[in-house]
Amino acid sequence: MNTTPPILSMQYVTKKFVGTVALDDVSFDLKSGEILAVVGENGAGKSTLMKILSGNFGHNDFDGEILLNGKKCRFDDVKDAEAAGIVMIHQEINLELDLSITENIMLGCLPQTPIGLIDWKKAHARAVTLMKLLNMHDIDVEKNVRDLSVSDQQSVSIARALNRNPKILILDEPTSCLNKSETQTLFDIIRDLRSKGLSCLYISHKIDELFEICDRALVLRDGKKISEYEKKDFDSKIIIEDIIGRKIDNVLPKVSEELGEEVMRVENFTIAHPYAFGKTILENVSFSIRKGEILGLYGLVGSGRSELLGSIFGSVNKLAGEIYLNGQRVEISSPIKAKQLGIGMVTEDRKKDGFIGMMSIKHNVSITVLKEISKYHLIDTRLEDQVTSKFADKMRIKTSNMDSNANTLSGGNQQKLIIAKWLATKLKILLLDEPTRGIDVGTKFEIYSLIKTLASQGLSIIVTSSEVQELIGLCDRFLVLSHGQVRKELLRKEATESNLLFYSLAN
Amino acid sequence: MNLKIKPINKVLKMQESGILLVIILFTIIITSINPVFITEKNLANVFRSTGFTLITTLGMTLVLISGGIDLSVGSVYALGGTISALCLVAGLPIPVAILLGLLAGILVGAVNGWIIVKLNIPPLIVTLGMMYIARGVVYVTTQGVPVYPLPDQFISIEHFDLFGSVPSVLIIAIVLSLLFQIILRNTPFGRAVYAVGGNSEAARISGIDDKKIKLAVYMITSFLAAVAGIMMTSRLGSSQANAGTGYEMTVISAAIIGGTSTYGGVGTILGSALGALFIEMLSNSLTLARISVYWQNVVIGVVLVLAVVIDTYRRKIIQRNEIIQTKVSKAL
Repeated sequence: MNTTPPILSMQYVTKKFVGTVALDDVSFDLKSGEILAVVGENGAGKSTLMKILSGNFGHNDFDGEILLNGKKCRFDDVKDAEAAGIVMIHQEINLELDLSITENIMLGCLPQTPIGLIDWKKAHARAVTLMKLLNMHDIDVEKNVRDLSVSDQQSVSIARALNRNPKILILDEPTSCLNKSETQTLFDIIRDLRSKGLSCLYISHKIDELFEICDRALVLRDGKKISEYEKKDFDSKIIIEDIIGRKIDNVLPKVSEELGEEVMRVENFTIAHPYAFGKTILENVSFSIRKGEILGLYGLVGSGRSELLGSIFGSVNKLAGEIYLNGQRVEISSPIKAKQLGIGMVTEDRKKDGFIGMMSIKHNVSITVLKEISKYHLIDTRLEDQVTSKFADKMRIKTSNMDSNANTLSGGNQQKLIIAKWLATKLKILLLDEPTRGIDVGTKFEIYSLIKTLASQGLSIIVTSSEVQELIGLCDRFLVLSHGQVRKELLRKEATESNLLFYSLAN
Repeated sequence: MNLKIKPINKVLKMQESGILLVIILFTIIITSINPVFITEKNLANVFRSTGFTLITTLGMTLVLISGGIDLSVGSVYALGGTISALCLVAGLPIPVAILLGLLAGILVGAVNGWIIVKLNIPPLIVTLGMMYIARGVVYVTTQGVPVYPLPDQFISIEHFDLFGSVPSVLIIAIVLSLLFQIILRNTPFGRAVYAVGGNSEAARISGIDDKKIKLAVYMITSFLAAVAGIMMTSRLGSSQANAGTGYEMTVISAAIIGGTSTYGGVGTILGSALGALFIEMLSNSLTLARISVYWQNVVIGVVLVLAVVIDTYRRKIIQRNEIIQTKVSKAL
């Protein structure tokens, strides 16, 4: 037995919301310099637990104890928790985009000169020091955060957290917008911080990442602590089974090997860079896709995956290039045109442009087929009910009421809703940009198998993902984008995690 | 749990329930204070002014739902009336004069919409500019002098009362309300207006022509403002250059009191109609109670803010209940 008390100990924590128990008697310890993974499906209680720890729920809101270094603590709010050295970095990057890096890092604690003005010299110096800690040596801290890449923004979030001198850092899905190499950089940073004595709670859906970075894993399900594993006992199958609460036979369903004729051919696509004016993000990209095929687009963030999908769909302008559908040249100038031609798109950021939160689930599904379900310019509500429930069932959207707002659905169900609205159209090609981002493990597998089913029914699907494993399990063929080009085309049997990565980095 | 929430939610969910209740209570209170309120003559007054407000409120409801705003309606109201009056004075036939007044309205709306959509300028700024421009055009063309005399036949349009006491402007407003109720609830266009206001990017990605929708709502609103302005010209027998000053605020307030969200995506025609009725009842009863006109502004302002506060809380309650319901049904 170790006699020194753990740096953090949460004991018998129970949190009830009206009607539901979010956390049920959960206890765990965190040792100094340890990285503890907290895993579980959405709704398993991870975020509630972290909100309690970070002071978002005050000490009157839950039952149980928080002990820091063996001493009982009571937090009224986030400030109390931060003062005690507990800082949380949220999943969604929470920065003021139009403020500078320095301002973001120092927000709320900007140093002042004796006469009460902001001491910019000191502030910038502090920001530079912190960014250097994160291996960003030559970044201009006066730059607006909006102009940074997502991974650099992530670093700014971490720098902001470090500025609070934390002893315990809570990382909520920190890699959800990072690609493999950026993730590695983040891990190096975390390891470095650990060696300096910082403890971390690490929340993620990506099991392989946990194995890499964490010393111990805590599995939650339905608000209860299910199991705890030391690093030496890590086993992905066992942990996933603990998370979803049932046995899994094979990780991904089998694919049909028979593919149909060519459905779409993209030729010489050149697309402007979204941020760098006058530059291109992709040049002369050509490829084709066959009926019933699942084509994976892999590339690092900034390789132009999303832009390529967007330009096929007509939501992003292309500088040059041609599209052929069934051998016929077509012009796709807008999503309206794409929809008419049988192309649908599920965007990367579903909250931003995937669905309409204040609209009912039903209306969100029928939005793509308003004309088709109308007679004499009036919507036929009975037909609408039929169509929407058919596709909601097909996508297995879990809801008791199709008239509830789409906001009330879980992330995974929102994603299914977005796919359902496209299935309602005369869909031939579906473009999926990061279809399982921020979705819990159980629903992820459900979405994979739905994608496979759709392909086996003859739908052609192009999918991008930051998770190599996900793509490998899903796709028939792979295109690796790098340096503005299709660097490599790989067939299913040739594709491995390492060669996909290799080509995405290769010059 | 489920059973307990549902009835409450149903009542709360019917967006118009709040304002309807307020109107009923208000009528009872005001009548017990001053019985003159409920007399036929006074009610006709209330309904007449409700009609004038409501016509444009219908369009404003569409604009607000689509996520925009239109500050130029007061000036377009004056412009429509003035153009028609000038045409009549010039001797053009009544239908032609009315048509030209309406066309002027549609044109202003098209310019508003075009600048908002094509040049991507915030609606608040575009329509604020248009508010000055249209008003300016009215003053330039009339030199600020009332335009009259107008033909009796034209004047009789507004002065025609169905069954001797139902003002024609109210009939027009009701017919338009029914029409817009159907448009908003049962047509692809109406659904698209909600979608564009709820999340214009998501609507665009879903293959909805968000630009066309936005252009249309501004054209519709200006058209309706011109309708109301022409009716007022008919009522007064002359066009006034300062007609409809502050009208945009009344109209926007009516829509908001009726539950239309200024964030877009939410609102109903019934709600807006009740909002328009309530605003006119309020100012009528304050006049009956001999409360100074100056105080009326204070009261309307308070009511407006109160309406939004209540609406915000109502929405929070619904959302909370819905989330609980989803959780409960998942747990079962």
